Amino acid sequence: MAIRVQLDRILAERRMSLTELADRVGVTVANLSILKTGKARAVRFSTLDALCRELDCQPGDLLAHEPGPGDIFDAED
Amino acid sequence: MRLPKLPAIGIRAPRLPGANLKTLGPGSVSSLLKIALDVAYVLLALITGVLLLLWVASIFIPIDNLNVTVSDGADGRQMPLTRPLLLFGVGAITAYFGGFLMILRGLRKIFRTLTLGDPFQPDNVRRLRQIGLILAVVTGGVWVAQGLVAARLAPGVMEPQGISDLLTPVFSILVVFVLAEVFREGARLRRESELTI
Repeated sequence: MAIRVQLDRILAERRMSLTELADRVGVTVANLSILKTGKARAVRFSTLDALCRELDCQPGDLLAHEPGPGDIFDAED
Repeated sequence: MRLPKLPAIGIRAPRLPGANLKTLGPGSVSSLLKIALDVAYVLLALITGVLLLLWVASIFIPIDNLNVTVSDGADGRQMPLTRPLLLFGVGAITAYFGGFLMILRGLRKIFRTLTLGDPFQPDNVRRLRQIGLILAVVTGGVWVAQGLVAARLAPGVMEPQGISDLLTPVFSILVVFVLAEVFREGARLRRESELTI
């Protein structure tokens, strides 16, 4: 998956822990970890909305497109 | 545009019996079916075990003075019971029951996931494909064995099965394979849903 969720960077900038964000957003830490490690297949608009609200950022700040050599195979899944 | 609300005229759709019948999870229809499958599995395992013992015993038991009567009801024809014939007969019946035992084994595992309320698992796709394959082998085996018996052992007495007799079993086998694909899609959607945050 070429889409990266830059949660680590934004959390570091906001000096916020993943547990605190999970509490605020209402998503489990396990699910936020899936999002952070790039294992997620999709993000709900409601989750993105809550993340942007709590982190005071835009969706574009959270998401980045980083194509790699394995993306051709990813697209076939 | 908002439509005006009509007053109720007091007609209500009849409730179908069993409309709120629970189909998945504990205490549901699937759990009842699982119990029935468990009972059938134990009985079939016993029958297959006995047949297997009989097949092993038929290698050693003396059959010198035994005959087989081939009859269509009117006049019977006697032929000597040879050891290959005995081994083929008992072996074919054992294989038939063994095949259905394996099918029931797979079905029990599928129904266990149904009673847990989580049927869309990759393992169930594999199980359904196995069931389809075993069903195909058993159906083909029965067809070939009946053809052999009709042609060699009881010519004129027993009619060999035609291709048209395979239509219903082949349709059932195809349905099982299609069901396996449905489960594969279900498992994929479940995985997608799990990874949607």
